[in-house]
Amino acid sequence: MATTQEERQPGMGESMLSRKVIVKGDTTYKIVSKSVTEYHFTVPYILPDEERVEVGQIFSIKDQGLTFLARVLNIEHSSNYDGHWDTTMKGTQIFDQDQIFNRVIAEPLGCISETGGFKKTRTLPTKFAPVARAEINEFKFLRQVMGDIEIGYLRNGSRLVKDIPVALHSEAMDHHMGVFATTGMGKSNFMKVFAASCMRLAARGESKFGLLIVDPHGEYLKGKGPVKGLVHLKKYADGLVCYSTDKNNASDPGVEELMIGLKDIEPSDVALLYDWSPAQKDALEAISRIFGRDWLSDLNRPEGISKMVSENINEKTAGVLSKRIKNVLDKNRYINDIRSSIPNILANIQDGKVVLVDIPRMSDRSELFLLSVLSRCILDAYKEEARPARKNCLITIEEAQRVLGSESNTVRFETIAREGRKFGVGLCAITQQPKLLDKQLLSQFNTLVVMGLGDRNDRSQLEESAKQDLSSMDVEIQTLEKGEAVISTLNIPFPIPAKIHRYERYLEKLQEEDRSEDKLINKVGFRPVVD
Amino acid sequence: MIRDHISLDGIDRYLAETGVQSSDFVPVQPREFSGEIFAVDGSNASICNWSTANVNLIRAGYAVYQGRVWRRTVITFDDVFLADPKQCKNMFDPFLQEFFGLNGVDLNESDLDRLSSYYRELQEYVAINDALTVAQPGDIILYDGSFDVFELLRGALATIFVRAEQKSVALLAVAKSSSLFWGEEISMPFVQHTSMAGSLLLPGSAWYLSLKDKKVDASQGRWNGQTYIVRFCGQSEHAFRVDAPSFLQGEMASVLGKLAAYSCSSECLGYPHALFRAHRDIRITEEEGAAVRQRLMGELLEMGMPHSEIRTLMQDFHDILEMRSGF
Repeated sequence: MATTQEERQPGMGESMLSRKVIVKGDTTYKIVSKSVTEYHFTVPYILPDEERVEVGQIFSIKDQGLTFLARVLNIEHSSNYDGHWDTTMKGTQIFDQDQIFNRVIAEPLGCISETGGFKKTRTLPTKFAPVARAEINEFKFLRQVMGDIEIGYLRNGSRLVKDIPVALHSEAMDHHMGVFATTGMGKSNFMKVFAASCMRLAARGESKFGLLIVDPHGEYLKGKGPVKGLVHLKKYADGLVCYSTDKNNASDPGVEELMIGLKDIEPSDVALLYDWSPAQKDALEAISRIFGRDWLSDLNRPEGISKMVSENINEKTAGVLSKRIKNVLDKNRYINDIRSSIPNILANIQDGKVVLVDIPRMSDRSELFLLSVLSRCILDAYKEEARPARKNCLITIEEAQRVLGSESNTVRFETIAREGRKFGVGLCAITQQPKLLDKQLLSQFNTLVVMGLGDRNDRSQLEESAKQDLSSMDVEIQTLEKGEAVISTLNIPFPIPAKIHRYERYLEKLQEEDRSEDKLINKVGFRPVVD
Repeated sequence: MIRDHISLDGIDRYLAETGVQSSDFVPVQPREFSGEIFAVDGSNASICNWSTANVNLIRAGYAVYQGRVWRRTVITFDDVFLADPKQCKNMFDPFLQEFFGLNGVDLNESDLDRLSSYYRELQEYVAINDALTVAQPGDIILYDGSFDVFELLRGALATIFVRAEQKSVALLAVAKSSSLFWGEEISMPFVQHTSMAGSLLLPGSAWYLSLKDKKVDASQGRWNGQTYIVRFCGQSEHAFRVDAPSFLQGEMASVLGKLAAYSCSSECLGYPHALFRAHRDIRITEEEGAAVRQRLMGELLEMGMPHSEIRTLMQDFHDILEMRSGF
């Protein structure tokens, strides 16, 4: 409501009346309460579908020189009438529509100064300050804080803000990243978009880390049906190196057959393949001492077992060890004494490329075994003195709860989670059950990509471990749709709502970008060569 | 015994003892109209009470509707009133003279509470007068109360009636509560029982009943008009006492039809919605009263009165008993 002076002809008693006229004004889209930590504002109780307020939407409050930003946490029915009027009203012939409204409860994100700088706020907007949906101008500051790995667009509620791409920082990747979503919410799509952006950076020589993806499902390399794979990003193929255990895939151009040398494998790599008795564990630890670097070849020789027995290892224990290790070699034919892909894999990662290891139809344990071997080799290599221009490394682990769970016995990945950052090695843990991850390990993860999570325990686990406060976003995380995410990461001041690019669309977008860049380049008559 | 005072067992006795006949209940046909409805109300909150003088916050004004659409609310008076029989003549007379051409009234015999009520009513009449100055012929002005007013202010009301008639503006007083009664041996609530009788005789319909020549004392001889009992909305169980000046007698069906069209809001079913809004916009809330009390104390402090003295003078012992803070 607004107060005005009513215009009328001077007449009887005018001088004696201090007439105050209240006329209809804007009664909604105003801050009405409440504190520095929670804003309440009103919106009309009936709105067209396209203007409905949604949880997660960001609103701006302009108040003198400051623009406050606030994210919607909840929406309640409300009115200026006292008590439980809503439940006692008869019929729906409401006369005073202006007295009924929805109360929006929002969480302050921070404020933008007149110079465009963003900071957390220690004050609150003036009561009745006007509120509006945040538009592109209010989000411009985000461009300055975004990183170099584009993964989607900013999302304001369900609406895309296409002018503001969401991009992660390469520098944050050795601080580990977690990707969390229930099945079908878009984890694989996210990883392909992420990998595509990494390929683009690598092909342009702008990459700051190499990315290792071990793919047991065969979905990253060529995709499946209409779903495309990384090889379809031909423009940036220079940024991708592929290995496969599948002979057919390995025959494709640009894909090498994966080979792991016998000498690349250490007894500790075998450790995670089975549940070992204490005596068997002791025997495994003794193997290196007994056989040296050629332990696998030596152990498989007829005299292998007797040599172990001569070193005071029980014959039965030695037999079990030998049998199990033979099984490993039988099942994993890519292990041989001819050649090894590992030196090249390491070199490409250190060059900042995306290295995809395609292992379709491989068993769970074999996959872990291979990942363990590769991870150890990478960590060992990164522990050595860095060569100039060596790029950091990010190792992707699918179903990460298997190796980072509170009850898992795979020390290797825990070591990377705890110490990898010192050497420039980060983990990208992908799981649909973050509640199974070890809390302490999870707290080492500084970038969280949270997609739809229906399980309260999963959300609580992330909320407790995140560097930014995600607890207020519980409802939003619960209601995320496929492809939508909330991203909490370093260098971006608040958890960002994002819509992850659909990979196939992103390929088209990259293609378009290339064309426009080509045009630009042709105009000035220069075409760079991407090595 | 209580039941005997309130229960209506059938309507035969009611009809016999009040002189009301079934045919006296006249159906009202709701009829939309394009004019404006003005609803005048006032509010009065005690700020502090002494035996010699009281301070009250008084507010008066009106809400204006066109159809279902609220147009504006006008506050014509919003100030504290010092009720002191020796001083308050100076507060009454200028308004009485300026707006109604009256030469003042003798208030010396009035008690302090009554003085505040008179002053609030006077300001309500000023508000009615203000509404009359902007109303167009055919518009309706509703007053929250009755036209059976204190004798001292009847002169002001008579002037208002004349001006309303001259301007062809319908003026009605709608009372939310009424002391009308019926019954030869036991006094029974008249408005409520009339409402029940109306429900039986004209179920689901709006209606009105004129009290002319009925055995109910509505003090109709004391002011120039007629009293009615009206149900504004067929879906509601409520009926109200409605006073109308005599010049409206031939137009009541038409005027009530217009009001009935706008007395069916969800917010306050069965009551003219403009009066509902006027009540809400003009009322003085407890918080407002407390704020004015604090402001008054602050000003007295600034004038040099010690806090302890102010507290002693302004505190009501009920506040201590009820453990209310504020001092």
